Amino acid sequence: MEHGYFIAQLFNALYYASILFLISSGLSLIYGIMRILNLAHGALYMLGAYVTYTVVVEWLGINPFSMVLAFISSILVVGGVGMFIERVLLKKLYNKPEDLQLLLTFALIFILDDIVKMIWGAQYKAFPVIPGFSIDVMGFKIPVYLISATALGLLVGFVLHWFFTGTTYGRMIRAAAYNPEVASTLGINVDRIFTISFGLGAALAGLAGGVAVPLYTASPGMGGDAIVYSFAVIVIGGMGSILGAFVGSLIIGLIRVLMALVFPVFEIALVYMVMAAVLLFRPRGLFGREVRGRK
Amino acid sequence: MRNIIDSELASIVTLLIFLAILPTSLSTYGVRTLSVGLLYGLAAVGFNILYGYTGLISFGHAMFFSAGAYGLAIGLVKMGLDPVQSLLMALGLTFIVAIITGYLSLRHTEIYFAMLTLAFAQLMYSLILKLRDVTGGDEGIYNIPRLLGSVESYYYLILSIVSIMVILAWWLVRTPMGLSFQTVRDNPDRARALGINVSRVRLLSYVISAYYVSLSGILYAPLHRAITPEIAYWTFSALIVMMTILGGSRRVIGAFIGGLIFIYINTFATGFTEFWQLIMGVLLAAIVYLAPNGLVGFIEGVVRRVR
Repeated sequence: MEHGYFIAQLFNALYYASILFLISSGLSLIYGIMRILNLAHGALYMLGAYVTYTVVVEWLGINPFSMVLAFISSILVVGGVGMFIERVLLKKLYNKPEDLQLLLTFALIFILDDIVKMIWGAQYKAFPVIPGFSIDVMGFKIPVYLISATALGLLVGFVLHWFFTGTTYGRMIRAAAYNPEVASTLGINVDRIFTISFGLGAALAGLAGGVAVPLYTASPGMGGDAIVYSFAVIVIGGMGSILGAFVGSLIIGLIRVLMALVFPVFEIALVYMVMAAVLLFRPRGLFGREVRGRK
Repeated sequence: MRNIIDSELASIVTLLIFLAILPTSLSTYGVRTLSVGLLYGLAAVGFNILYGYTGLISFGHAMFFSAGAYGLAIGLVKMGLDPVQSLLMALGLTFIVAIITGYLSLRHTEIYFAMLTLAFAQLMYSLILKLRDVTGGDEGIYNIPRLLGSVESYYYLILSIVSIMVILAWWLVRTPMGLSFQTVRDNPDRARALGINVSRVRLLSYVISAYYVSLSGILYAPLHRAITPEIAYWTFSALIVMMTILGGSRRVIGAFIGGLIFIYINTFATGFTEFWQLIMGVLLAAIVYLAPNGLVGFIEGVVRRVR
């Protein structure tokens, strides 16, 4: 195998890992703070992809400036949808059995899929070209977009880490996650924190969709695979851990792209074998805290 | 108490009699739809033995549906076996899948259990997708023989088996074994103190549950005459969970009605608009707020109030 081809695939793996990280950090955050398994997270990712597609391809044209605007639009639209879902729908279910939250987020997949079809139609939406120029790496053209997207994933990871450990508001969120009752007696507005956290998680999924759409195209069912790989990521990394989501995404990104090269039959299988192995031998994941789930 | 038990059995039998008469007024297409409804109902009843009665939520029951359907179809189409041999192969495959995944997944409960079953089911899905020579890959297996001549006669075969299995489930949850499932669900520690072997009880429930869903898949393959990997995908597992919650997980009949109703909502919405998923989604969401104990729980509530 050529080295150049291998390195080109490595860039693809990192780009894919970066997208996975953006989706799964949001999923993990929502689970870690609110103990809600948001099955509709993949659908929010899809929505983000369509928003960026529309802003760039249909409105502004493909250039770096419009990409940035499109990402911001995806963050705002999907984050807003997330806050709406939490405020209007989920808030009423906090004292009910968890199955109902699952049922609701599953119903949201159906609803969001069809809303997307109503607005954009059922056909695939592909970027005509990848934004930005390409650089030459050992005879292979690597789009700079791929590298910037990977860098963006890294940047978001650092910002999230800083937000949750270095800022007062981030610490308040962690307090609310750790013990909502005590946090609210300390004057922390837990209701608002939950709304903002869900919105933040959704916004990350939206951004992921925006980052993904130039290479992966947008389609109504694209959330299905995204959500289940994100489950694998957060299980491997540890549910609720940002660092875990980061490492988990890298592991799955590398497994998928490298296995596709050397042993394609097990490309997907190995992901789930690793997921099962982590659950069996280290259920809290590589970077998760000790299990302290609500019963 | 006695009264309620009898009324559930009475409802099940009434429903089954109704289902036996119904095809006379239906088109062949209608009978096919109803057949799928029966099979979804059967799968939901099986899932509910583990979920509603043993308190374990699996996110991977599609693996048993596909073990049954693919086991049978591979035997019939790819290996040219006769129906009995193919059936045995499907049952054997289900046993292997159920024992291995059950033994491993039941090291945990709650979300970790759910995630393990999801991982195993997706593993199975990926193998079905990639082992093209055996499973046909993403094209699946087609030209599966129907076994009985017409859709109508096959419907009555399905109905007889489903009737036996649903009544069996009704009976099962009232036997000492079924009661031990519920003790483990309500309080595992107390169950242990009572001398119940909790892990064995859970595994038993898991395997029984798996066989119900597998049987549903076995009957599905000759009905549909073609199967694709979608029946092994996680969304199908989720669908089984949702049908059960939709009908109501507290009773056997709840899950059964959930499966039946689901296919009708689906058919109704599909005929009504191309945006049938939106209608499905809104109806599912409405259940969450208006009938949190499922349709059967809702009806029971109304009946109690009227009395």
